[in-house]
Amino acid sequence: MKKLIEFKNIVKKFDGETVLNGVSIDICENEFVTLLGPSGCGKTTLLRILGGFLEPDGGEVIFDGEEISKIPPYKREINTVFQKYALFPHLNVYDNIAFGLKIKKEPKDIIEQKVNRMLKLVNLEDYGKRKINQLSGGQQQRIAIARALVNEPMVLLLDEPLGALDLKLRKEMQKELKRIQREVGITFVFVTHDQEEALTMSDKIVVMKEGQIQQIGTPIEIYNEPINEYVAKFIGESNIIDGIMKDDYQVYFEDKLFECVDKGFEKNENVDVVIRPEDIDIVPPEAGMLKGTVKSVMFKGIHYEVMVETRAGASITVKMTVSDHKPVYNESAGEKMSANDFYLDISDIDELTKADIIARADAQAWDAKTDDWISISKVEYHLEKKNGTYPVTFHTSSGTQVTVNMIVADESKVENERFDEVIYAVNFFKNIDELKESVALETDLKTWANASAWQLDDDNVNINITSVEYDFDPENITVGTYDVTFKTDGYEYKIETTKEQTEGEKVGLRFDPDDIHIMRKMEG
Amino acid sequence: MKKLLSKLSDLYMILLILFLYIPVIYIIVFAFNDGNSMSQWEGFSLRWFEMVFDNRDMVNSIYTTFFVAIIATLISSILGTIAAIGLSKSRRVLRSAVEQVNNLPVMNPDIVTAMGLLLFFTSLGITKGYGTILLAHIMFCTPYVMLSVTPKLKALDPNLMDAALDLGATPLYALCKVMIPQIKSGIMSGAMIAFAMSFDDFVITDFVKGAGINNISTMVYTMKRKNPSIYALTTVVMLCITVALLIINAAPIIKEKMKKKGENQ
Amino acid sequence: MKNYKGLIYPYIVWIAIMIVVPMLMIFAFAFIQDDGSSVSFTFDNFKRFFSDETFPNVLKRSLGIALSTTLVCILFGYPAAYIMSKAEGKKKSLLVLLMTMPMWINMLVRTYALMGILADNGLLNSILSFLGIPMVQIMYTDSAVMLGMVYDFLPFMVLQIHGSLEKMDKSLLEAAADLGAGKGKTFLKVVLPLSIPGVLSGITLVFLPAVSSYFIPNILGGGGYTLVGNLIQQYSLTTERDFASAISLIMAVIIMLSMALTKKLEKFSGTEGSED
Repeated sequence: MKKLIEFKNIVKKFDGETVLNGVSIDICENEFVTLLGPSGCGKTTLLRILGGFLEPDGGEVIFDGEEISKIPPYKREINTVFQKYALFPHLNVYDNIAFGLKIKKEPKDIIEQKVNRMLKLVNLEDYGKRKINQLSGGQQQRIAIARALVNEPMVLLLDEPLGALDLKLRKEMQKELKRIQREVGITFVFVTHDQEEALTMSDKIVVMKEGQIQQIGTPIEIYNEPINEYVAKFIGESNIIDGIMKDDYQVYFEDKLFECVDKGFEKNENVDVVIRPEDIDIVPPEAGMLKGTVKSVMFKGIHYEVMVETRAGASITVKMTVSDHKPVYNESAGEKMSANDFYLDISDIDELTKADIIARADAQAWDAKTDDWISISKVEYHLEKKNGTYPVTFHTSSGTQVTVNMIVADESKVENERFDEVIYAVNFFKNIDELKESVALETDLKTWANASAWQLDDDNVNINITSVEYDFDPENITVGTYDVTFKTDGYEYKIETTKEQTEGEKVGLRFDPDDIHIMRKMEG
Repeated sequence: MKKLLSKLSDLYMILLILFLYIPVIYIIVFAFNDGNSMSQWEGFSLRWFEMVFDNRDMVNSIYTTFFVAIIATLISSILGTIAAIGLSKSRRVLRSAVEQVNNLPVMNPDIVTAMGLLLFFTSLGITKGYGTILLAHIMFCTPYVMLSVTPKLKALDPNLMDAALDLGATPLYALCKVMIPQIKSGIMSGAMIAFAMSFDDFVITDFVKGAGINNISTMVYTMKRKNPSIYALTTVVMLCITVALLIINAAPIIKEKMKKKGENQ
Repeated sequence: MKNYKGLIYPYIVWIAIMIVVPMLMIFAFAFIQDDGSSVSFTFDNFKRFFSDETFPNVLKRSLGIALSTTLVCILFGYPAAYIMSKAEGKKKSLLVLLMTMPMWINMLVRTYALMGILADNGLLNSILSFLGIPMVQIMYTDSAVMLGMVYDFLPFMVLQIHGSLEKMDKSLLEAAADLGAGKGKTFLKVVLPLSIPGVLSGITLVFLPAVSSYFIPNILGGGGYTLVGNLIQQYSLTTERDFASAISLIMAVIIMLSMALTKKLEKFSGTEGSED
């Protein structure tokens, strides 16, 4: 195929901010090329440079052997379908399409022929006399395409043309666009942020991020062999696992060595391992390369999306002491007040504020009659930086008061070095009524136990606590001490399968060596 | 070619602006004229400024203009906002009927509106005075407030008020705390237009004012022997408006600066 | 209070009293004769208006001057609005401000200043004689009245057209360029037709006050200079308010007709192009 367009090292800045940072792409004749990336990645800027609406600050745009970056749009054999169509509201459908031909002063009968052929091409034959505002979004879209194509450009640029359409129409238009491209046989340069759109329509996809090209390839290449985690994630939901390349064709992850088809990495290089959800088969546990438990099953229309946990995350179990203390009743002021004992970590003491203490003790005061909240005006306490029990007293302005204990104890956290994470939670005291009144018990339990998890080597990276386990019935709980366990996620694999699975079932996972895709770790 | 064109268009704008501003400059210069003439320069003097402040009629006309403009702006802003909100919830038939009627004073020459009001007031035996001026000004200002509030109401998320009511807000509370803040900019620009319309009005005031009560325009028009004092008067008003506009425009900038300063410290 | 629908009712009462009733009274005064004992329908006031040439001539003159004023305003206002819309950043806001400012200065006084400038011994003639050019007598002519109207109403036209040019979707201009239209073609085929609504509302804002003004002809045309606005004003001061009402109605009808005509023009310009 012949090269039609060459971007050579294009640089574009807006107000000093670099939007395109040395972009080079070759586009061939009759190719359907998609510029794919999130908003702000520079894809629309690149398209507008090709259309002639922007001039690059650096680099060359070669079109059909000629440098065109300084040629105005109306002299280029390139036409654009604009984001919101930009149809002329004062002209009807026919005149919108005829606009470019009339400017070229083509004879009237030729114009009519061409316009009608275009209307036929986009399946809107009888719409010539309609006004633009009488058309639906999809119809306007087709007219915009017809208006551009009627000028017989060598390249058609499409700037997120399907963005404004609803899902069903978008699917239809994707097919339609592909058909039109085949029929007119010219180059299409298409901009989108929708990876599915890109995969279904393109001959070539250019994945962009922050003004730079990440990968150029056919949809199959991009999908199967994403060059890095960014492309893999952008192109589709994927399982991305940390691994080590032991040798050519040998990758180590999940404490096992797997055969793969990739080579050319350093020995023992840290890599990302990608396995597509549809490439994993669920088999009986004994036949699996990995074993795990089905965590969730979701029906997605044509398949089930199954999450299988191959390894549990970190967990910590704390004691919850349930009491049935009644609130203090101050009859003279008509106020009620309650608070719990609570545990504190030594390391918390320095940063402890009164608001923290009120929250931890769950101190509350309210009007006995109306149940309206009353603010706590004073918190009295004395605290030392060593283990022990310290009283704290809460006051309202009308003299109601409650005293509870702050128990300072050693840190209660579990470090999971193999998983590189830390999980933390403290024992806590709770009143029966509050347990019964909780409307979001798991969230409340996390708050009461002050449960959190983070990465071992960087405590700024928080890890979600995804499960809270307890063995009591909150409706009928009695005074006593209960275990509450908090867990983080372990390794989970997303699998697409047509067979329904049962949650909690033990299963095995299988995949072939060529389903394992190895990517270099991204910098930063 | 490109340069020449931009030079030419600059020249054109300069000439046009000169055309608009020469009379304005003329007003300011001749306010200081020593003579009685409005066209012959006879030396510098401040006598006309002294005269403006000594002349009861002139001072009164300034008061009247501001008084009427402020009261009419206040009332028409409130009335217009309430009406626009009500209208936005009304059936289409009612809406278009009210819009049609609203358009009468907008699409008719002032003099027709003025004629109608004159007949109305005299037929009912209402004494012409401040009251009639105020009523007339509120009448022609309110549609402008509605015209600038309505687009804001249309742009409002229809679920917003429902959400407020759903969360337990009373209709009045929802109106004050949810809707009004959203359409505030529309109300403000409507009020600005209303103020300008009232402030500048001549024709309608001329028809409905009582004897001896004048705003600046009618005072100038009815003045027996015109002299540069009207220039002096206008210069004083211009100065007031410029200061007011500067304050209005500068206030947000100053606020921003103060905020930044506060953040830096 | 449900749904705030009720909020409209006070305003309906208000406009019924303050807008509808006064309008009806103009009709009543124009068409109803009340000679103390009996009330009857009459065309006398209209017959009187058209009985001889005097009044229709005043009307014709008013319409002529208002029309020319409007045309001049479009002719000079459109390029200004276009230049303003092409200006960038601070320059644009400065131009808009400069265009708006004169409207805050009392229109009557500005007209008097114009009188001082145009007077036989005024600024204009001083400059002319200084340059050795023969002096001109403009005051108390049609030209002076028209100049005054253009001066007073031009900013309305400029701001309206500028508003419609600003509202225009910039991607339409790009689309035109993309389809092969150069700057001139883009202007003729896209910008101009899309700015017609702005021109039309500019026409409303210029033509309406121009056709009915009475202080401008009074100041710049002299005591004897009469336009239809002066007629209405003069008769409204007398006992012949029925006649003043009739003239108001005639003028209102003519204005409504011309507005309807421009609306038609707008519709026509909206579908223009399909015919060629």
